[in-house]
Amino acid sequence: MLTAEEQQALRDFLSVLDVHQGELDAAMLKTAAEHPEFSKIVRSMGQEQLDEQNRASRALVRAAIQEDQWLPLLDNLRTQGAAYARMGISFTGWFDLLSSYQSVLTPLLLSQQPGKAVSAVQGMTHYVGITMAIIGEAYLRTKEAIITQQQSAIRELSTPILQVRDRLLILPIIGVIDTLRARQLTEQLLHAIRAHRARVVVMDITGVAAVDSKVANHLLQTIAAARLMGAKVVITGVSSDVAHSLVGLGVDIGQLNATGDLQSGLEEGERLLGYRVARLPDAPGGRE
Amino acid sequence: MQVPVLKQGDCLIATVQAALTDADLLRLRDELADKVGAHHIRGLVLDVSLLDVIDSFAARTLRGIAHAVRLRGAETVIVGIQPDVAFSMIQLGLTMESVETALDLDEGLALLGQRRGPGRAG
Repeated sequence: MLTAEEQQALRDFLSVLDVHQGELDAAMLKTAAEHPEFSKIVRSMGQEQLDEQNRASRALVRAAIQEDQWLPLLDNLRTQGAAYARMGISFTGWFDLLSSYQSVLTPLLLSQQPGKAVSAVQGMTHYVGITMAIIGEAYLRTKEAIITQQQSAIRELSTPILQVRDRLLILPIIGVIDTLRARQLTEQLLHAIRAHRARVVVMDITGVAAVDSKVANHLLQTIAAARLMGAKVVITGVSSDVAHSLVGLGVDIGQLNATGDLQSGLEEGERLLGYRVARLPDAPGGRE
Repeated sequence: MQVPVLKQGDCLIATVQAALTDADLLRLRDELADKVGAHHIRGLVLDVSLLDVIDSFAARTLRGIAHAVRLRGAETVIVGIQPDVAFSMIQLGLTMESVETALDLDEGLALLGQRRGPGRAG
């Protein structure tokens, strides 16, 4: 962990900090109150709460430096970092606080006896390094967690499978299809086919902007898998760009059942199931 | 392991049990080809809903059964492929293109009935 020198430097730093803690807290509070991001948080806390927080963190710092009990301090920093990250405080904001912290402390540290001054500045650098590393890590973790959560939310949302008629499902695909999504889509479709006892699936790819060989392969696999379960797939909404690239990729068109748009796809599905949709002769509000 | 083969009208229904060995599959193939000829069978349903894995040998043998039976004058429908099985078969490139498939036994028999024309369905 820490070398004896580093520990001594931290102790020298702490001895200065102890004397000037009041000044430092006041300066930091001022910076935070003027900071565009931190000001809201400072305003929402009473003076008592701020004092209490300062006292608590001072105790943690003292325990870490004097008694070598770092874990409680690191845990505290991690929790704080995660909380601020979730509140939307940018990581850059912390560097604004940090520069004010250093500009207050550096002159005070340098005014010590020559030998001690260098050691105290080193102590500060070390302390600041540890603090920022832990907070930064907490920020990254929090953001990663948020991204993962959003990704799974998007995935859940992005593949609805709807039953429009007995034995007839529609599967509108929107957006980018990657390997993971294609896999999930296929699995969901297969389970839906069994659950709804579907015989025809209309797969609408109007919302798929571009198709490369990978995506084309995924779509063909989905169609083949559905067929293994006894369901026919009708593809609709193939744009001319997508059609050109499918042909260019040499996809076996023979096994694809395609119609122009969703409407004709549904009609084809109904035809395959033996339905015939007819207008009632006395239906109101239509053509004669 | 013996595979039960039931005769229903002019259809045969073979329910493939879990974990057939390769030898069992080959025996099934021979038995079905014999029976189709002997009983003037027009349709064969291969129910694989109990299988939780279909490897390339099994897929190839099932396809072989379908082709052999077609040459003996009967249509084959493979029914009951589970979603997870279908997914892994596709991953292995086993698409069974030349064989009819259906969701389950009901659907398979209905499909065979349709094939032989509405007049003879049942």
